[in-house]
Amino acid sequence: MDTLPRRRFVASLASSAGAIVARRAFGAGFGISSAPEATSLSDEASRTLARYPQKTDLILLTDRPPQLETPLRYFRTDLTPNDAFFVRWHLSGIPTTVDVQSFRLEVNGRVSKPLSLSLSDLQSKFEPVSVVALAQCAGNSRTLFEPRVPGGQWGNGAMGNARWTGVRLKDVLDAAGVLAGAVQAGFRGLDVPPQPKTPAFEKSLQLDHARDGEVMIAYEMNGEPLPMLNGFPVRLIVPGWYATYWVKALSSITVLDQPLKTFWMDTAYRIPDNSGANEEPQHLSSATVPINRMPVHSIFVQPGSGEQLRVGQRYELAGVATDGGSGIRRVETSNDGGQTWSDATLGPDLGKYSWRRWQADWTPVTKGKYRLMVRASSASGETQPTTQWNRSGYQRDIIEHLDVVVS
Amino acid sequence: MSYWKPICLLILPAAALAISAGQQPSVGSSKGAARNAPGQVVHITLPGIPGEVLPGPGVQVYSNNCLICHSARYVNMQPNFTREVWEKEVRKMVVAYGAMISDADQRRIVEYLVAVRGVPGSK
Repeated sequence: MDTLPRRRFVASLASSAGAIVARRAFGAGFGISSAPEATSLSDEASRTLARYPQKTDLILLTDRPPQLETPLRYFRTDLTPNDAFFVRWHLSGIPTTVDVQSFRLEVNGRVSKPLSLSLSDLQSKFEPVSVVALAQCAGNSRTLFEPRVPGGQWGNGAMGNARWTGVRLKDVLDAAGVLAGAVQAGFRGLDVPPQPKTPAFEKSLQLDHARDGEVMIAYEMNGEPLPMLNGFPVRLIVPGWYATYWVKALSSITVLDQPLKTFWMDTAYRIPDNSGANEEPQHLSSATVPINRMPVHSIFVQPGSGEQLRVGQRYELAGVATDGGSGIRRVETSNDGGQTWSDATLGPDLGKYSWRRWQADWTPVTKGKYRLMVRASSASGETQPTTQWNRSGYQRDIIEHLDVVVS
Repeated sequence: MSYWKPICLLILPAAALAISAGQQPSVGSSKGAARNAPGQVVHITLPGIPGEVLPGPGVQVYSNNCLICHSARYVNMQPNFTREVWEKEVRKMVVAYGAMISDADQRRIVEYLVAVRGVPGSK
C-alpha cells in the first residue's frame, strides 16, 4: 500500500449537506424557472459515499475493485462532470500508474502491419473526432428488478453522458491493414486478473462494427484527459452500445479470424435472445446473446424517491431519456399511474448518441399518494415495455414509476 | 504485469502528487487531472477503505478465500438470496473466475453467505 498520509475517505453524507448541494443544482435546467425544493430523500442520504483520486464523492458499491455510482443530482446537466462519472472495474488489478511516454497501444493479429502506438501517435497521426455519447453499465438500475438478482447493486447512476475526443478505430485498423478473413477485433486494457486462472477482461466487436467509423479510441473526456478510473490514457468508445464494450485503459487490439472465445463474451454479459431481454425466473431462456445496443429508457432525476411534496406548489419533474443511437423523439409523463400522459419538454439535442434531458411542470392540487411515471420514444419509433425481468438484471428499459406523497 | 515501472515514482509531476495526497478537483471541472505532456507519469493512490467484513459462521474461511480477489462489499451490497443462488455464485467464482477454493471451503462459504445474506425461512 502507499505510504503517503491520507485522510479518511469514507463518509456518509449528512442529509442537510446533501440538501444544500441539491438546492444549488436545482433549476439549472432549460427555460423553466426553479421551483421549491422538496424535502429530499436523495439516493445519497442512505448510501455510503467515497472519494477516490480525481473523483468527487460518489456512491460506494465496492472498493476493491472500485464500483462507484453517480448521485442523480449530477444528471441535471447535459454533460456529466468527469469527477462525478461512474466507475466500474471487474478485476482488482486496476491500473494506478501510467507512464505516458512508454505507454503503447498494440494493434496486431490479422493485420499486414502491426502497430505500436504511443499516446502522442494517436493524438498526432490520426484525424481527431468528437462525439457526445452515453456510457451506461449493462447492469444500470439492477436494484429495480423484482425479484432481485445478484450483481453490482446499482441504482440509476451507473451511467453518464460525455463528449469524447479521440480517433476513429477504423483509421487505426486501416493503418494496420486488416487482412482478408478477419471477422472480429478483440480489445484488452491494462487491468490484470487477481488469480492465474481468472480470465483477463477482454471484449470483441464484429469487424464491420469496429470499422463503422463511429467506434472510437478516446483520449479526452469533456475536453480533459480521462480520469485514471475512467480509463486513462485511452478507452474504447462504442456509441450506442453498453459500456461493457468500452474497454478502459485500452492497450491491445487484436484482429481475429474467428470469434473471440472468452468468459466475458461467452458467459458473462449475455441477455435472453429476444427483443426485450426478457425471461421468467422459473423459465430461464436457453438462448442468449451478448448484450449490445441500448434500448430506449427514461428515468426520473427529480423528485427523489419518497419525497414529501406540498399541495399547491409547482414542481419540476426532470430526468434523462436514453437510447442506443437514433436519438430521443418524445418523452411523456403521467401523474396518475399511467392513465393519462402529457408531453415533457426536451432539453438540448447533443446528437443521436447523447442522452436527452427532459422536464415537466406539475402542481398537485389535492393531497394524497401519486404514482408518477415517465416514458420515452426514440426517433426510430422504439418505445418502452411495461414489464421486464432477466436473471442478470441487464438492459433495464421498463417504463419507470415514482411514488410520492403530497401533503 | 508490466506497466509498473519503478522509475515512475521518481518523476511524478506535481498534479499527480496532489491527487495522491487526496486533494480533489472541484465539482463540475476536471482541474487536477494531469495533462498529457511527454515523459509524464500519472499516478493515483487508491484510498484505504475499511473492509467491513460481516460477522458470521465461517467468516475466516470466507475471508481467506474470497477477499483475495475482491473486498467484502461485494457481498455486503447484495440483498438476501436463497441458498441455491449463493451456491451458484460460489461455483461461478471457482469455475468462471478461477478461484482456487476446496470443496469443503466452498460449502463453508455458502453457509456464511446464507447466514449473512440468506432469505429468512429458506433452507
